[in-house]
Amino acid sequence: MKRYDLIVVGAGPSGLSAAIEAAKKGLKVVVFDENEKPGGQLFKQIHKFFGSKEHRAKVRGFVIGQQLLDEADEAGVKVVLNATVIGLYQDKEVVVKLGGEVVHYKGDAVIIATGAAENMVTFPGWTLPGVIGAGAAQTMMNLHGVLPGKRVLMLGSGNVGLVVSFQLEQCGCEVVALVDAAPRVGGYGVHAAKVARTGVPFYLSHTIVEAEGDECVTGVTIAEVDSSFKFIPGTEKHFDVDTICLAVGLSPMSQLLKMAGCKMEDNPKRGGQVPISDSYGQTSVPGIFVAGDVSGIEEASSAMIEGRMAGNVAAEYLGYIEKDALKEELDTLDKALDGLRQGMFAPSNRGKLIEKTDEGIEVSQSLLKNGYIADEEIERFPGVVRKVGVHPVIECTQNIPCNPCQDACKKGCISIGKNITSLPIVVDGSECINCGMCVANCSGQAIFLVDEDKGDGSAEITLPYEFLPLPEEGTKGFGLGRDGKVVCEAVVTKCRSSKAFDKTHLLTIKVPKEYAMKARFFKVS
Amino acid sequence: MAERIKEHPILGDIKKGEPVKFTFDGKEVMGYEGEPIAAALKAAGLMVHRYTKKEHKPRGIFCAIGRCTDCVMVVDGVPNVRTCITPLTAGMEVKTQYGVSDKPFEEQ
Repeated sequence: MKRYDLIVVGAGPSGLSAAIEAAKKGLKVVVFDENEKPGGQLFKQIHKFFGSKEHRAKVRGFVIGQQLLDEADEAGVKVVLNATVIGLYQDKEVVVKLGGEVVHYKGDAVIIATGAAENMVTFPGWTLPGVIGAGAAQTMMNLHGVLPGKRVLMLGSGNVGLVVSFQLEQCGCEVVALVDAAPRVGGYGVHAAKVARTGVPFYLSHTIVEAEGDECVTGVTIAEVDSSFKFIPGTEKHFDVDTICLAVGLSPMSQLLKMAGCKMEDNPKRGGQVPISDSYGQTSVPGIFVAGDVSGIEEASSAMIEGRMAGNVAAEYLGYIEKDALKEELDTLDKALDGLRQGMFAPSNRGKLIEKTDEGIEVSQSLLKNGYIADEEIERFPGVVRKVGVHPVIECTQNIPCNPCQDACKKGCISIGKNITSLPIVVDGSECINCGMCVANCSGQAIFLVDEDKGDGSAEITLPYEFLPLPEEGTKGFGLGRDGKVVCEAVVTKCRSSKAFDKTHLLTIKVPKEYAMKARFFKVS
Repeated sequence: MAERIKEHPILGDIKKGEPVKFTFDGKEVMGYEGEPIAAALKAAGLMVHRYTKKEHKPRGIFCAIGRCTDCVMVVDGVPNVRTCITPLTAGMEVKTQYGVSDKPFEEQ
């Protein structure tokens, strides 16, 4: 039986991070992953991540994935792929299926970083080809370059549903509706807003009645539900679609831990069956640790930090580092993780209705109900100010852990301050030079540069644009409101691309000046 | 129905292997070497991978990461192959799976 100091199960963000830290401390580490390629779900994430610099904010997920693989390589981490761990037995015996062979290994410490699996919901027709998980859509389009469908209905308004809807549109699919049985949008408002302004209608308090089709999906009917999630007769709506995408949450894949005899609990706040563990991933079985989604559903940024924690704890457990050195590492990681766990969407706030921001501003109810901020609500937020000349308008209205915008502006126009979850403000007396870095660097695509009055009755709006084809200068079309509906005629006056913008193009459109604070997207006529 | 993404605004050109021919129920189909069989089928607009044993209901891609087993087919004579995680190679014989057989139910 082959022995390793540390065996990590899962080569996703947390598993790789754990392996890197442990290998750096001198442990002999192996990572097993059942997939053909390492990186877990990171390589399917094409949006810019949230957080601050230390969390690699504003870097796209797949780029972070590559950075992690490079780091693992450098640290000498051995990653074995197509290796399914099928058993975790007494004394940390790890049984791995490698091709047709079953091989036994022994780890002095084991870190389980198996991640999560998608949840499903059932409805008549849910087994038809064409009903797919949101993860399947991401896999098809972002890894294999295949369109998941042409006309898609998305069920689920959490961050996965919102982000995948946007990605579907980016690769050329039409998202006909975003549906959720919950009465409020579950994910970040900025993710919802960027989907809504392209014209995707949101149907909250709605769910699927039936998927239609004999051999595969040809249509879908949704209906409104009441507060006890029962269908309200007469509220049915029908859509012709070829694809129904389900984004209804994730469940930890914790089976190996249960098998190993770790004490488990059913914890809805963590997403289901999870091992009971301390804040650094130590389970009830000494030497078996957990990191990432398997110990509670969060997201990739926090999974990477949890991985680093577990890697360090395992190193100390096996005597490769002293307690003092461990404490120092954990203090830094604690701070980084705390930063991500603040704000309205913090794990501790799950399920709570938050009516006011930390600043005491009423949260936009339209954003929660319709996916966009209503025109009459927008000006109560501190990032939205009126000024003469070009200036940023920051439509970031919820307390989320993210601050790249304040570093992006070299002129100091934008400030978030010490608290990473504070709403960004436009600094009094600052001077915008129209460089566009804030627009491109905002992971939520919530910043616009607005010149409210060009002196000829028009206004110019610069907006983030991540679609193809890129409209050329002079292209005529329409300005769409935050709700995705046509509000005015518009013409493209500039389209800026730059390496520093990292594939977020800056589209400048000219609109009648009364629409300066209303038009937020461009559609070619 | 589906097709391939020609140019992606963020990912640019998605790297693929060599174009190869394989068969789906005896008919020639094009795909790219190394991509999952299921991706090649999806790109060709082929949605039904199998019919269930008891109720003869159609199934296709569902999770696309090898967990749900909805997409299994008979590949080179072997039934229950998870097509979403099995790389395509030239000349592969991919067949619709009826129950656990490649023979339609009326012939079983």
